[in-house]
Amino acid sequence: MTLERYKEMWQRADEVWARTARPAGTLIKVGVATCSRVVGAEETLAVLRREVETRGLQANVMLTGCLGLCYAEPLIEVVRPNGKAVLYQHVTADKVPLLVEAAVGGDWIAGEHALAVMSDRDSGGLPALNSLEFMRGQVRRLMANCGVTDPGNIDHYIARGGYEGLVRALGMRPVEVIDEVKKSGLWGRGGAAFSTGLKWEFLYNAKRKPKYLICNADEGDPGSFVNRNLMESDPQLLVEGMIIGGYATDADQGYVYVRDEYPLPVERMELAVQQARDRGLLGENILGSGFSFELEVVRGAGSYVCGDETGLLSSLEDRRGMPKIKPPFPAQAGVFAMPSNINNVESYTNVPLIMRHGAEWWSEMGSEKHKGTKMFATSGQIQRVGILEVPLGTPTSEVVMRMGGGPPAGRKLKAIQPGGPLSGVIPASEIDIPLEPESYRERGVLMGSGGLVILDDTNCIVDLCIYFEWFAEDESCGRCTTCFAGTRRMLEILRRISSGRGRLADLELIKLLGNIAQNANCFHGQGAPTAVMSMFRFFEDELLEHVERKRCPAKVCRGLVRYEVIHHSDRLPAAQAICPTSAVVRDNGTYRIDQFKCIKCDACREQAPYAIAVMDEFEAPAITLGR
Amino acid sequence: MFAQASHNSRQTAVEPVAGSTELLARISELIDDLRPDHVDLLKAFHRIQHEFGYVPPESVPLLAGKFRTTPAIIYGTIDFYSEVRTAPAAETTVEWCSGPACLLKGSLNIRRALEAIFECEMNRTSPNGKFGLRLVQCDGTCHLAPLVRHKGRYIGPLTVSDSIEWARRLRGEDGGAHAEGREALAELESPEAAQPVEAE
Repeated sequence: MTLERYKEMWQRADEVWARTARPAGTLIKVGVATCSRVVGAEETLAVLRREVETRGLQANVMLTGCLGLCYAEPLIEVVRPNGKAVLYQHVTADKVPLLVEAAVGGDWIAGEHALAVMSDRDSGGLPALNSLEFMRGQVRRLMANCGVTDPGNIDHYIARGGYEGLVRALGMRPVEVIDEVKKSGLWGRGGAAFSTGLKWEFLYNAKRKPKYLICNADEGDPGSFVNRNLMESDPQLLVEGMIIGGYATDADQGYVYVRDEYPLPVERMELAVQQARDRGLLGENILGSGFSFELEVVRGAGSYVCGDETGLLSSLEDRRGMPKIKPPFPAQAGVFAMPSNINNVESYTNVPLIMRHGAEWWSEMGSEKHKGTKMFATSGQIQRVGILEVPLGTPTSEVVMRMGGGPPAGRKLKAIQPGGPLSGVIPASEIDIPLEPESYRERGVLMGSGGLVILDDTNCIVDLCIYFEWFAEDESCGRCTTCFAGTRRMLEILRRISSGRGRLADLELIKLLGNIAQNANCFHGQGAPTAVMSMFRFFEDELLEHVERKRCPAKVCRGLVRYEVIHHSDRLPAAQAICPTSAVVRDNGTYRIDQFKCIKCDACREQAPYAIAVMDEFEAPAITLGR
Repeated sequence: MFAQASHNSRQTAVEPVAGSTELLARISELIDDLRPDHVDLLKAFHRIQHEFGYVPPESVPLLAGKFRTTPAIIYGTIDFYSEVRTAPAAETTVEWCSGPACLLKGSLNIRRALEAIFECEMNRTSPNGKFGLRLVQCDGTCHLAPLVRHKGRYIGPLTVSDSIEWARRLRGEDGGAHAEGREALAELESPEAAQPVEAE
């Protein structure tokens, strides 16, 4: 019965999808997701629709998700009736009329904005999408629908094989589903890297009812935005993953906890849940199988520790999101003291693929020990900011240097922060290590959730550690003294060092605090000193330079630098005009910087780079003043 | 099916509430269908904040009654979440992204400049009450780093000069204390005068 109902559903869906996959006229797809919305994709969409209408063109305009090429947004794809498709980059609203004229009219490749052709081979002087440096080497499984289908249309998802995994799972016993997930070797993608199948088994074995299945979509790690893309570009994948999870663990109620900073994913997840419910894929007696499951989207309210599994549980229970003390583990007593299971978005979204194609197919990808693919986000000092999906075990350098393009031209890679502020830093010399939890753990670093933040030689490691400690201190829930007071002390010491009052004894003090922090209850406190510890391990020279010589080699630490006028230049009036505190003053035709007023914001040097220089605060003062 | 109460602090505490009748009636209306132990408290905060722009203190006792807990626990929860405000935001609030990608590209310099121009510290309101600076967390729009947000618009990638020019225009300041430099600049007619980069 389940199968028949699915087949019927699939046929209807296929008819809808055919209009997109094999369009009668020209089809224009506009990627609208958070990353493209902020550069004006919605305006592009509106102008495009108006343009097509006023000109009476034979073209359909469709909204789609994000391909992951954040650096090239807004992206639009023009599919011709003959099947040829071109991807255009940086199409802001003002460029639409021109593009429509060229692309929909005669010439199918419209000049400078054309990025790639959507085929396997280069054609018409354009590279194929998959031969772009950013795309080559990626394996898009989770992201197969991202930027291809309409995230607000469940039919697109079903027609492309969606819910096939669920139907297969419903035909199996829950234990068999868990076995299949275990066999695949899928582990939690949120950072802890614990076996997903095993976790599900714990919940399955719990006796009390109701049971809860929770998705941790509180992607709080700054610089990490892979879950966001999945939820806003292919929300049904997560819904299906959670239904399968619910069936395998015999759960009754699911919650997707999305952080407050992600309004669009909340919107799209809510729509996806509603559509799934309308089709009988959620609620009572799913597809006539006798299994019932409910799903609700919960919007957080801005707290990083709610991304900790027990912190999230507390938040669901109508109170402060303070992590709980384990044991009892969530599988014994989780939300509302009932058996619960919590997984990351990426963990759940892998499950439909495992069930659809089988564990063997799924574990073909990846390294010997770690199967499957993993999504990464690149940001910071990197040329191509975006979202990638690569097999686990891919060398880090491949992702950062080749796909991401490395730091901007003329700069040198310094370090990488692999996944969140609690994950630590690895130096450029270790860049060839594979993207696997072990290789990172050996270096005292965590691979985390996949937000790669890249540092180059203009960045100061002490400055970055101050940020991490500030973040840890700011977001501490306040339960453990080692965490809320420990991070505060650590921050004070680091700020002291960066202001030029560091002393050698501070180094021992930091190490002591780092050890004490291990006694915190949750990983927030335990992980807080990771970055500082990796600074000791890999960047001790730079730290000592700050402490002993009171010098910041990258000239970033505010207390260790001073702005001075060293030459005369025509740009000095501009520097004087821009200064927000009137610190650039002119005495008798000579410019100088009033050190009492200067807030070291760097604006004057931007205006007059030749005349104004950043000096070390604790070196002999510059004598050559501007005339 | 989900009827267990799990909080030992739960009690029915409906006390007389201070505040205007309309306000209280509106808040009660907003939270009318919510129930304790159904993951509804966050929903209540969002609804109230959506309506008023912040969560008025008057709603605390009402929420406590609704969720069968004490006002202290409700207030503690409000206080815990950084996106729940207990006072209205300033008329013009500039949101400054604190994320690592922005940091590495010089967002601290921008922060210092903005603080100087609006004459207020981060998460505070300017002396005339019109401008506010708010620290926000990274939402993964790092291709625009370093960025600030204003009324839902993302502005970036910014240089410090861009941000200063932009902030001054927001303040409605044309020259002010910097008139001297501006005059000299006008004479030079520099082609490189910074043009703010704005993205919608």
